[in-house]
Amino acid sequence: MRRLLLTRLLSVVPMLFFVSLFTFLLVRLTATDPVAQILGQSASNEDRAEYAHRLGLDRPLADQFLGWVGSALQGDLGNSLYTNLPVAESISDRFGVTLSLALAGMLFALVVGIPVGIAGALRHGSRWDRLLTIVVSTGLAVPSIWLALLLSLVFAVTLRWFQVIGYTPFAESPLLWAWGLVLPAIALGIHTAAVIARQTRSAMIEVLHARYIQALRARGLPQRRIVLLYATKNALVPVLSVIAIQMSVLVGVSFVIERIFAIPGLGTLLIDSVVRADFPVLQGTVVVVAFVVLVVNLLTDIAYGVINPKVRPQ
Amino acid sequence: MSAGTIADERSDAAVVEPESDVRSHTRLWQRLARRPLSLTCIAYLVLLFVLAIGAPLVAPYDPFHPDIKLRLQGPSAVHWLGTDDLGRDTLSRLIFGARTALLASFQSVSFGAVVGITTGLVVGYLGGWFDRIAMRVADVMQSIPAVLLALALIGVLGKGLGNAMLAVGVIFSVSFMRITRAVVLAEKEQLYVDAARVLGLRTLSIMLRQILPNISPPLIVQASIALGTALLIEAMLSFLGVGIDSTQVSWGAMLETARQFQSQQPLLPIFPGLAITLSVLAFNLLGDSLRDATLPTGATAESSISRRTVAPFAVSPTSVHRPEAPADALLAVSGLTVAAPRPGGGSAELLSDVSFHVMRGETLGLVGESGCGKSMTALAVMGLLPPAVSIAAGSIRLAGTELAGLDDDAMRQVRGRRVGMVFQEPMAALSPVHTVGRQISDAVRAHTGLGRRQALARAAELLALVGVPDPHRRLQDYPHQFSGGMAQRVVIAGALACEPELLIADEPTTALDVTIQAQVLDLLMDLRQRLSMSVLLITHDLGVVADACDRLAVMYGGEVVETGNVEATFSHPRHPYTAALLAAMPRGEGVGSRLATIPGRVPPAWAWPQGCRFHPRCAHAVAACRQEPNILRHGVRCRRADELTLTDAR
Repeated sequence: MRRLLLTRLLSVVPMLFFVSLFTFLLVRLTATDPVAQILGQSASNEDRAEYAHRLGLDRPLADQFLGWVGSALQGDLGNSLYTNLPVAESISDRFGVTLSLALAGMLFALVVGIPVGIAGALRHGSRWDRLLTIVVSTGLAVPSIWLALLLSLVFAVTLRWFQVIGYTPFAESPLLWAWGLVLPAIALGIHTAAVIARQTRSAMIEVLHARYIQALRARGLPQRRIVLLYATKNALVPVLSVIAIQMSVLVGVSFVIERIFAIPGLGTLLIDSVVRADFPVLQGTVVVVAFVVLVVNLLTDIAYGVINPKVRPQ
Repeated sequence: MSAGTIADERSDAAVVEPESDVRSHTRLWQRLARRPLSLTCIAYLVLLFVLAIGAPLVAPYDPFHPDIKLRLQGPSAVHWLGTDDLGRDTLSRLIFGARTALLASFQSVSFGAVVGITTGLVVGYLGGWFDRIAMRVADVMQSIPAVLLALALIGVLGKGLGNAMLAVGVIFSVSFMRITRAVVLAEKEQLYVDAARVLGLRTLSIMLRQILPNISPPLIVQASIALGTALLIEAMLSFLGVGIDSTQVSWGAMLETARQFQSQQPLLPIFPGLAITLSVLAFNLLGDSLRDATLPTGATAESSISRRTVAPFAVSPTSVHRPEAPADALLAVSGLTVAAPRPGGGSAELLSDVSFHVMRGETLGLVGESGCGKSMTALAVMGLLPPAVSIAAGSIRLAGTELAGLDDDAMRQVRGRRVGMVFQEPMAALSPVHTVGRQISDAVRAHTGLGRRQALARAAELLALVGVPDPHRRLQDYPHQFSGGMAQRVVIAGALACEPELLIADEPTTALDVTIQAQVLDLLMDLRQRLSMSVLLITHDLGVVADACDRLAVMYGGEVVETGNVEATFSHPRHPYTAALLAAMPRGEGVGSRLATIPGRVPPAWAWPQGCRFHPRCAHAVAACRQEPNILRHGVRCRRADELTLTDAR
């Protein structure tokens, strides 16, 4: 177990390096000149050169990249080209918000997706199962942005159960923090819930046909105990790998959901940096998000080891 | 039998599957056309295409024409679906939006498919370093969220739908690459590629001509689902304002307008949202239908079986006259008939008129080839018949109590407590993610009021009883940490948790190493003695019967064809099938001599022949055997039993 953890932990390092390199090259090789963007077309060549020198953009690419990696390792991701604020600071201000939202979305997806999948599998082929399948297919097709609009229209604008926009930090009021995340989490998590429900259903159907389930029944165990304790744990093994992939999807879609509920997460920062070609912010955000996704994948792998004894090294 | 036969049928269908591509493609379309749902999806998508292409002709208004006097209108005769904040016609914008949506989806998916399939083919075929590098790159790509990558690429390349969808295409290429690579790796090993290589085809042509047609089904499915995803991402990017430019209309951008003005006109988000949902749904459902249609036919046949259920227990157990079992028999099965719905409709009898009994302390061998109904009989006794299968007639009495027709709760008091069961493959009979101690102690706790700790102590006792060394420590082990023989001992321990009166052992030694078989069989016989149980031993191995059983019941085609004392039956078989089984039994003395076999095979349940079910394979069949079924009389189901002298052929 410890060795598995260690090797997986170590594999994150080269992955992060490649993600950084990939983004760096993408940004520097194909982009329009940020200096021209900032100073405008009218700036003189001397001004441009001086500005580029100040930003370190005249150094060789490899130099720039290694310099970036060097300072990134010390927690310095550079400064925004526009606001001159440290990127690391801007990110850490918003990081918790995005993580709250993504985890809340995942929580909703798990709480809804797994029971729906199990319910369908238990009545495999029944009318009830077919109804659930239609609901799940619709869940896969509904755009999160639309659902967010509708939820906000009904529950915030009309019924006034929730604030229409805004975000309360956890430190300020845990209760308001959680309450404020309800609508965004549902809008964000619905697609993932549908994916998880599908995966759970098919895994569960397969498990329920397994010989060991028959053997448990032959030993006289109550059906409820067989389903809840034995079948579910076995069915969750393949579901876990879906969760890892979905976490990355959730983080991505959360950027859009933020916009609708005016939640100050990484999405706003990122979209602004995209629109303004603010490369240090863009680069920093991409690498940090990739890092989070990699860590989540790592945690999923560990959970996989806990739930499935076969992958634990002896 | 039963679930087994259905599964076998399915695997047969799967074996036949690799067929000529033309045929499979026409079949695919035929199968699709037979489903109303996939037809609806296709019709919807065709309509969408027509609208998108003919948008300037179809749309009632110019989608950009503002009419400030009629802004934020609801549906009316003039504007069917109302207008937006600038008074532009919603219906016309929806129709032009379909253009953007479809164009964007097809751009990104075709880019992703071309790049992904090509890369997948190359790295899959070449393997080695190419493969490793490509897979690492794929991992890196997948750790970046799709929306993030799209935003990053737009940030770098500049705004615009083309760039956005290029970014989405890059993401799709990863999944296309993975699928292609996986299929190529699998197909590469297949004989026909080797054969083609021998014929001297160049590598490139091998890939294109041989592999491409075979990977198209999963890729078509993937493409269909990717189209839906692309549509969703396009909507999101346009919603954020980084997708379309001012000359285009997008459903996502319409939702952004709706966000700003929905408090004034709540209908604004409805139509673009519906358009996106329905279109994505159509692509997804079409993908699902394609997936189902490319599966072998057997699989769908099975799912249709499980949907139907047979009315349980239609005939009262006493209405049929049976040869009476002794009154003090522990288990008395009489006239047991078990039926299942047939793949084509109607129902088939998996077991017909099965009668036998087991006395206390006795071991009865239930023998016959695979597919004769032995396991089905055991499952019927346990009340564990598969969902669609049910008892149609007959009675199963355990120490005088009728089990047939009992509900699951009542059966649960019998299973594990009074009747235990051991299965053929011990590894399959143990949950891989639970400790052995947990599985045995749960069986103990299901029937006793013992607490967790006491139940675990009892589990350790049971493991010791079945000869597992170091039982206390092994309670924490998982099944994969046991050898096959040890795992079977664990399964036996689970079955003995409450010291049942009857142990049903379904081919308990078949899956084990030959050297272990005798040990496990000895253990069973020893336990029978120590716990004074009865054993119903199901086997196809007459050697096992000779070693372990007092009496035997021979099954063929879902019927008991002969019962009797082991010694008497072995020396004087009365049914031709028993005689044939005995003749086919390998014995030490005939080393090198040719083993006798029974010609033909057991037909499936829905194809039992008329008359005596064994007659097509019987050397002694006469005309009457082909017409009239036999009944079990004096322990044998053969009309010629009295006239035939069936001795061992050797």
